[in-house]
Amino acid sequence: MMTGMERLSAAINGTLADRIPVFCNLLDQGAKELGLSIEEYYKSGEHVAEAQLKMRAKYGYDCLWSLFYVGKEAELLGCSKIIYAKDGPPNVGEMIIKKYDDIARLQVPDDITSHPAFAEELKCLRILKAEAGGKYPICAYLTASMTMPALLMGIEKWLQMLMLGPNDLRDELLAKCSDFFQKQIAAYRAAGADVLVYSNPFGSTDFIPRKFFNELSLPWMERDLTPGGTAGVVYYCGGARFNNVIEAVISRLGIGVFYLSPMDDIAEGKRLVAGRGLTCGVINDIMLLKWSKEQIRGEVKRMIEAGKPGGKFLFGTLVMPYNIPEENIRTMLEAAYEYGRFDTP
Amino acid sequence: MLEQVMNQYNEAIMDTDRDKALLVVRDALSLGISPEEVVFKIVVPAIELMMKSISENQGGSLAQHFMAAQIASEVVDEMVPLFKKAPEIVGKVVIGTSQGDFHGLGKRIVSGCLKAMMIEVTDLGLNVAPERFVDEAVAQDAQVIAISSMMVHTASGDNGCRRVRQILRERGLEERFRIAVGGAPYRFDPELYRSVGADAWAENGITAGRVITALIREVRK
Repeated sequence: MMTGMERLSAAINGTLADRIPVFCNLLDQGAKELGLSIEEYYKSGEHVAEAQLKMRAKYGYDCLWSLFYVGKEAELLGCSKIIYAKDGPPNVGEMIIKKYDDIARLQVPDDITSHPAFAEELKCLRILKAEAGGKYPICAYLTASMTMPALLMGIEKWLQMLMLGPNDLRDELLAKCSDFFQKQIAAYRAAGADVLVYSNPFGSTDFIPRKFFNELSLPWMERDLTPGGTAGVVYYCGGARFNNVIEAVISRLGIGVFYLSPMDDIAEGKRLVAGRGLTCGVINDIMLLKWSKEQIRGEVKRMIEAGKPGGKFLFGTLVMPYNIPEENIRTMLEAAYEYGRFDTP
Repeated sequence: MLEQVMNQYNEAIMDTDRDKALLVVRDALSLGISPEEVVFKIVVPAIELMMKSISENQGGSLAQHFMAAQIASEVVDEMVPLFKKAPEIVGKVVIGTSQGDFHGLGKRIVSGCLKAMMIEVTDLGLNVAPERFVDEAVAQDAQVIAISSMMVHTASGDNGCRRVRQILRERGLEERFRIAVGGAPYRFDPELYRSVGADAWAENGITAGRVITALIREVRK
């Protein structure tokens, strides 16, 4: 049987495999797996690594996550208050930029890897690498400079600054966020992450007009990615649609993996990528909370039929809410393995 | 002349150009267009035009919605004190994000639009307890409770809309108030609003204006 890494490589290179790769983003579910509260679970890199390995083995999908929760990045930049829920992802509980003067005070750590907030992630990555390195792709999550300010000052204030200025402060903040991104991606690569999910809702025209995408998003994404290159980088807009910017992302940034929105047309996405990269069809997994077995199978079939012809296709999930019944996770995955199979000659 | 001003204002809104929009409005005043006409014949129709373009699936980005609401709110603040008589209030809304939710953007867009439509908005802020939504709605004599949630567990959990509905039922207030919800989970599951006990949902901050106005009319009937 092929490993997840072999399936992913085959999908990227357009070579033969037993089936398409299937990525399943189970994060908070790790707490349930270990019988812990979400708050207790995220205190330890060992917990996260153990649960990631257990859940992958239990369900048989093809990826492992080093991500704890998105607010972790704000902790690296000084946020000390995270609010935990009993049935959902932790939230940033304190905006470290409360007023514009705070931008000048924002400090990007020289060495992220020695920061206490990174220590547990590093521990998790080391365990994942030792246990499954080379067999199953290890995914890391990184927020783009254009989106990071939303975690630091709130999306409301960030959008206001982005649209109304002051532009000098906006650019100062973006430069710091981009410096942070460059350090973070280098740290993840050094620690052995294989797949680097580059999250940027502000890289979607659902968020900003095309003019802003061209004049701001693209140049800042170039700045984020130029020093380290785009190897292993996945373009992802946090669930927002981005089919209409795929061409610009390929030609300007050279990114080769596209993790679409559940609202994007998969066949259209594949046509736009045009064999120049890997297209990932993403299920609207909020519906897994209530869909019947038949509805789940029907949706997985529809998606895979749209994306699988010609290969270079991956099936993936979005946020995977905590309360999705295990049975529905299994139904989705079994359907993805079944419909995603390639007939051997 | 009014039509020309309208076109210029709409163009500025689509370009997210606040300075130009405010300039157009101020020039309109100097051309003899009344402050009442600026609000009801330029600003409100611009919001309605954006609603129409969204419903025809031409979308518009979140930033355009934000700026349309922001500019509308600023223009209304500037124009209302110049009205010959105080405008009639269409209705009252209390708005906030559900408990555990710290995402305030949708709420702000909705509030800006409602203000331009002469709906009085009491903003309860972020992370609002269900009891507070009801208490404030009673205190303000509002018609609508608007709850914004960006995460699945805050939209569908026991301390959000579901609990607000339960409190309204327990206190015998269901006839007096309507509940509107909005936020990403409702877009990904358009039937979710029913299962959490809301009366209506809006896909985005701009269309929320229309949805909430309809609910106010329903209560006032």
